Amino acid sequence: MEIIAAVRVVVKSLLFVLLWSNGDGKDSEHSYVTCGSLVKLLNTRHDVRLHSHDVKYGSGSGQQSVTGVESADDANSYWQIRGKPKYPCQRGTAIKCGQSIRITHMKTGRNLHTHHFSSPLSNNQEVSAFGENGEGDDLDVWAVQCEGLHWERDEAVRFKHVGTDVFLSVTGEQYGHPIRGQREVHGMSSPNQHNWWRTMEGVFIQPSQEPLRHDEL
Amino acid sequence: MANKGMNLCRVCCLLLYVISAVLAGRDFYKILGVSKSASIRDIKKAYRKLALQLHPDRNPDDPKAQDKFADLGAAYEVLSDEEKRKQYDKYGEDGLKEGHHSSHNDIFSSFFGDFGFMFGGNRQQQDKNIPRGNDIVLDLEVTLEEVYSGNFVEVVRNKPIAKEAPGKRKCNCRQEMRTTQLGPGRFQMTQETVCDECPNVKLVNEERTLEVEIEQGVRDETEYPFIGEGEPHIDGEPGDLRFRIKVLKHPVFERRGDDLYTNVTISLVEALVGFEMDVIHLDGHKVHIVRDKITRPGARMWKKGEGLPNFDNINIRGSLIITFDVDFPQTQLDEQQKDGIRGLLKQDSVQKVYNGLQGY
Repeated sequence: MEIIAAVRVVVKSLLFVLLWSNGDGKDSEHSYVTCGSLVKLLNTRHDVRLHSHDVKYGSGSGQQSVTGVESADDANSYWQIRGKPKYPCQRGTAIKCGQSIRITHMKTGRNLHTHHFSSPLSNNQEVSAFGENGEGDDLDVWAVQCEGLHWERDEAVRFKHVGTDVFLSVTGEQYGHPIRGQREVHGMSSPNQHNWWRTMEGVFIQPSQEPLRHDEL
Repeated sequence: MANKGMNLCRVCCLLLYVISAVLAGRDFYKILGVSKSASIRDIKKAYRKLALQLHPDRNPDDPKAQDKFADLGAAYEVLSDEEKRKQYDKYGEDGLKEGHHSSHNDIFSSFFGDFGFMFGGNRQQQDKNIPRGNDIVLDLEVTLEEVYSGNFVEVVRNKPIAKEAPGKRKCNCRQEMRTTQLGPGRFQMTQETVCDECPNVKLVNEERTLEVEIEQGVRDETEYPFIGEGEPHIDGEPGDLRFRIKVLKHPVFERRGDDLYTNVTISLVEALVGFEMDVIHLDGHKVHIVRDKITRPGARMWKKGEGLPNFDNINIRGSLIITFDVDFPQTQLDEQQKDGIRGLLKQDSVQKVYNGLQGY
C-alpha cells in the first residue's frame, strides 16, 4: 500500500512536470474550471452538493427538482459546464469570470434553470432542471461571478442568473419524504454568505493541442 | 598467419559491438515503434496501441510478456517526458539521472482506468452480487479535424476514494422478521432492521490524470470506458467513467460515414470557361481542382481517398464529394451586353415547362 502510494506520488509529479513542460507558453489549465468539464458543486455555507434527480416539484412549475445533498458519492450530483445557447465554448478552455454558461445535469440532460415561481419551502425563487438533451431555453443561462480572470477550481464563486438576476443559494430548509434531508436550492436576489459555491469532485478537461496540420504544396 | 589475425580482429570487433549494444541500454524508440522525431501524440498513440497488445493478461503463454510490457512502460515514461527524452537522446538509458523503476500500473491506468484490466474495456461479469458505484458518462465534443487526424484529451479526475477510518460502522443493513415469545404458546412476529459490523471507512478526494484518445475515424456516440473511475461504493466496487464522443458540426465539411461532402460556389464565368482552385482539407493539405469544361449548377466531383480514415482500418479512406453551385452576376446587363451574349453563346431559346417536383 505504501509503495503504491509513493509510486502514485512519483507518477503524479512526473505527469505534473509533463504538464508544465508541455505548456507551450500557455498557462497550465490544471487549476481552472474548463468548458466541457463535469463537476460537483458544493455550497460552502451549508456543505451540500448541487443535485437533481427524476423527481418533480409538487408545486410551482412542476418541473424537475434541484436540491442540495450531503452525500459525496452520488452520480446525480454531476453537472456539465457548457456554453450558452448558440455560443458553444471550446472544449478545455478555462471559463472566464463573468462568462455566461449553462450548467447541465449529467444524468437527466436538463439544464439548471430558474423562473418566476415560488420555491416550496422558503418562498424564494424556484430553481429547477429544464430541457431535453441539454437544450432548454434562455432562462438556462447563468453568469459565473468570481475574482480574477478565470474560474479557479478551489475558488468560491457565485452564480447569477441571466434573466432574473437572482443568485443560486441554499438557506438550509429541508425536505421530507421522499427526499428526506435534502436541502432546498433556490434563487435569492441579494449576494450573501448563502450563495458561495466551489467545485469538488469531477472530471476536469485540459486544453488539447491542435490536431496536426500538413501544409504541403 | 594473416588470416588468423583477421579473424581475431573480426571477433574482437563483434564482441565490442555486442558489448556496447548491451551497455547502451534499450532502444526506447524501437520498443514503441516510433521515429526519433515522433511527436508526443505519436508516442501516446503508439503506447496505447501496444499496451493493449502486450499486456501480460493477454499473452499468458509468452514467458517474456512481463519483460516486454515492462520495457514498454519504461519507454513511454522516458519518451513522454521532455526532460527525460532529451537526456535519453544524448546519453542513452544509462544517462538518465534517477532510476525510473516506477510501477507501470499508473501509466497504464491513466489510459485505461483503474480496476484491474478487462479487454475491450468491458467489465467482465465477475460477481453480480458485489454492489457497484454509479457510472459517469461525459459527453466529449470533438471537431471533425480531430476525427481526421486523431488527438488526445487529458483530463484530471478528482474522485472520492474509500479509506480506512478508526472505529466501526453499520453495513449490509436489511429487514428481518424476529419472533419473540410473549408467554406459553403466545408468539409475536416483528420486523427488525439488522446490520452487520464493518470496518469504518471515510471518503477522501484524490486526483489523477487520464488520457482519452480520439481515434482517427471515430464514430459519433462511441464510448471510451475507464474502468473503476466512476463513483465509489462504500460496500463494493467503484463504477466506471465513460467518455461518449460527440462530433460537432463543421462549417465546411459534412460527414456521411467515411465520406465528406462540401459545397463550392463558382462564378458564372468560371462555370462557363473553367477554373482551377484548391480546397483546404481538415489537416491543412490542399485538394487541387481543375475544370476546363462547362460546370453545371449542382454538378458533383468525386475525389477518392480525400474523405475520412476508416475507424477499423485507417489506411482506407472515404471520398470527398464536391457539389458546385453558380453565382450569377449581380448587376443587370445593358442592351449591348445582351446582344453580345446572344451572339457569343448561340443557344436557342428553350422555355420548357414541366413539373419539376415530381421528376417529370
